[in-house]
Amino acid sequence: MIWGAWICLLSPLVAAVLITLGGTRITRRTAGYLATASCFVAFGGALASFIGLLGRDGSQRELVSTAWTWISGGSYRSGLEVIVDPLSVFMMLIVSGVGALIVAYSIGYMDGEDEERRYFAYMALFVFSMLLLVQGGNLLLLLAGWGMVGLSSYLLIGFWHERPSAVAAAKKAFVMNAIGDATMALAFFLLILKGNSLEFGILGGEFSSTVATLVALGLLGGAVAKSAQIPLQTWLPDAMEGPTPVSALIHAATMVTAGVYLIVRTHAIFEAAPKIADLAAGLGAATLLVAGLIALVQVDIKKVIAYSTMSQIGYMFLGAGIGAYGYAIFHLMTHAFFKALLFMTAGLVIHHLDGEQDIRKMGGLRSVMPRTHVAFAVGGLALMGIPIFSGFWSKDGIVSAAFASGDALGYTLAAAGLVGALLTGLYTTRLYFAVWRGEQSDVVREHAHEGHGEGPRTMTVPVGVLTVLATIGGLVVIPGVWEPFLYWIDETAEPLVQATVTEDYATSVVAVSLALIGFFLARRAFEKGRQVVTNPGIWRVLEHKLYFDEAYDALFYRPAAALSVALRRNVEEPVVERSLDEIGSGTIHVGGEVGRIQSGLLRIYAIAVAFAVCVLVVVFVAVR
Amino acid sequence: MMGPGVAWYLAVSGFLFGTGALGVLLRRNPLIVLLSLEIMLNGANLALIGFARNLGDGSGQIFALAVMAVAASEVVVGLGLVVALNRKRVTLDVDRLNTLRG
Repeated sequence: MIWGAWICLLSPLVAAVLITLGGTRITRRTAGYLATASCFVAFGGALASFIGLLGRDGSQRELVSTAWTWISGGSYRSGLEVIVDPLSVFMMLIVSGVGALIVAYSIGYMDGEDEERRYFAYMALFVFSMLLLVQGGNLLLLLAGWGMVGLSSYLLIGFWHERPSAVAAAKKAFVMNAIGDATMALAFFLLILKGNSLEFGILGGEFSSTVATLVALGLLGGAVAKSAQIPLQTWLPDAMEGPTPVSALIHAATMVTAGVYLIVRTHAIFEAAPKIADLAAGLGAATLLVAGLIALVQVDIKKVIAYSTMSQIGYMFLGAGIGAYGYAIFHLMTHAFFKALLFMTAGLVIHHLDGEQDIRKMGGLRSVMPRTHVAFAVGGLALMGIPIFSGFWSKDGIVSAAFASGDALGYTLAAAGLVGALLTGLYTTRLYFAVWRGEQSDVVREHAHEGHGEGPRTMTVPVGVLTVLATIGGLVVIPGVWEPFLYWIDETAEPLVQATVTEDYATSVVAVSLALIGFFLARRAFEKGRQVVTNPGIWRVLEHKLYFDEAYDALFYRPAAALSVALRRNVEEPVVERSLDEIGSGTIHVGGEVGRIQSGLLRIYAIAVAFAVCVLVVVFVAVR
Repeated sequence: MMGPGVAWYLAVSGFLFGTGALGVLLRRNPLIVLLSLEIMLNGANLALIGFARNLGDGSGQIFALAVMAVAASEVVVGLGLVVALNRKRVTLDVDRLNTLRG
C-alpha cells in the first residue's frame, strides 16, 4: 500500500547511489542490470500501491504518508511526504514501467560506451527525480522533483560531453527550464504569502482573482518550459543531442509531460483563473500547429520525432487547458507508449546504421529490419490516430472535448486540433516512407551485409512490449462503452467538459479522415520527389523553425552579451581592476615602510613596552 | 593585623620589579633576561599578595597562583629555546638574535 509508494520512490535512488559508490568495482553490465532492476522494483511498488487503491472506495483514494517534517518556520510547515492518489499512482506506473523498459533497452544501446556506469547512474537518478515529482505530497516537494528532473535531463543531454553541440544543447535546456522554475518559485512565494501553506489543498482556497491569476501564470510558466511549449520550446529539438534512450524516456515519455501533470494536479487554481487556463489551451494549440509544420521539413530522424512530441504535448495542454483532465492524462499515457516506441525503433535504426540520423540517407530499410519496421509502423499509426491503435482513443477525446466546450475559443481549439491531425498524418507518413520504403540507399546497403541483425535481445524485447502497449493501450477508454480510465482520473480532477458519445465519434470520423488524407498526400509527395513541402520559401522558414532561435538570439542573447562586453570594457577593466591594483601596490608600499620599525632587537622592544607602560601610568594618574 | 604594613610589601615588590626590569633591559644573555623576567613576575606577585592580605580578600592569592603557573610554563618554553640555540652553537646574545627584523 503506502509502503509500495516508498519502495517505488527510493529504489532508483538506491541504485544511483550504489552505481556511483561502486565506481570501477562493478562492471559496466552490472551497472545496467542494477539500474534496470531498480526500475522494475519501483514498478512493483507502484503496482502494489495501485492494487491497494483499487481495494478502496472511490472517495477514500487519497493517502498521504509523511516521513518527517522537512521545513518549518513560524507557522509554516512542509513535510517530506508522498501522496498516493489515482493521479500519482498512474504517473508512478508510467514513469517506472516505461522507465524500466527504456533502461533495459539502454543496456544494448549503450553497450561499449566508455562511461556506461555514469549513464546508468544518471538514468536511475532521473527515474528517482521523476518519481519524486509525481509522488511529492506538497508543492515544495513537487518543485524539488521538478528541479531534479531538470538537472538529470541536463546531465543526460550533455552525456557525450566531448561534443560541443551536446554541451550547448544541455546548457540551453537547463537555462530554458530555469526560467520556468523561477516563475514557479515566484508563484509558490505568493502562495505562502497569501495562504501560508504549500499543500495541494491550499490551491482550492479563497484567493482574490489577481492572486489566483498570478499563481496560475507562474505555474503555467513552469509547465510551458518543462513541456517545451511555445514560447519556451526551442530547447527540445536540441536536446536530441543526448543518447536516443534518453530522448525516449525523458524527452518523449515522461519529463516533458510533467507540465501536463502539473496543470492537472493544480487544476483548482487554473479553474479559479479561467483566463490562464484558456491561455494554456491556446499555447497548446499554437504549439501543436507550429511543431507539426516544422516536423514536415526536418531531416534528422530524431528531430522529426521531437517536433512530433512537442505537437502531441500541445494536444495535452489543449485538453488540460479546457478542463478535459482525464483525456489529457490519457493522451499522456498513450503518447508515452507510442512515442517511446518510435524513439526506440529510431534508436534501433541509428544503431544499425552506426549513428546515421539523416533521413535523406536512409530508405528501403523495410527489407533489412522487418520486425523493427512493424514496430515503427505501429508507433506511426498510433501517432496518427488510426482506429484501434492507442493514439486514436486519446487524441480524438481531446478534440471532441474542445468542441463540447462550445464557445468560439473551443471551436478554434478543436479546429486547430483537427488541422494538427492532418499535419500529424503528413509528417509521420513522410518520415515512414523516407526511412522504410523506396530504394535502398547507399548508407543502408553499406550496413546491410555487416550482419547487425535487428539489435540485441535487451533492445528488441522492450520494443516488442511497447509495440503491444501502443496497439492496445488505448482500449481503457472506449467512449460510451467502457471508460474505467476516465473514472479513475476523475476522482482526482473532475473534468469541466464532457463530450457526448455522438460528438466523440463524429470528431473521430473527421480526425481519422484528415489523418488519412495526410497519409495519401504524403505518399504521393514521396513518390514524386520524397518531400512534402516543395515551396523553397516556406521550406526555409520552417527549416529555421520559424526563426524562434534567431529571434531569441537577437532579443536576449545579443543585448546581454553586448552589455557584458561594454561593462567589462568600461567598468570592470578601468574601475574595478585598476582600483584593485592600486590597493595592492599601496599596501605593499606601506608594509615596506612599517617593516623598518621592526629592528629585531629584543631590548628595544622591551624599552618600548616599558616606555608605553610609563606613559599609561602618567596618563592614568593625570586623568585622575 | 600582625607584621609590617602593606607599604613595606609594596616597597619590596617595587624594588624587585625594578631590578627585574633593569635586568631585562640591560643584560644581553638570554638566560639572564629570562631570570630577570621571573624576578619581575614575582615582584608583581608580592604586590598581589600584599594587597590580598591588606584587604582580607583571597582573590589576590588566587591571581598569584595563576601567575606562578603561567610563569612556570613560560620558563619551560624560554629555557627550551635557549637550549636549542645553544645546541645550534649560536652566540647567546639577544642583540645578535635579530633575524626577524623588517
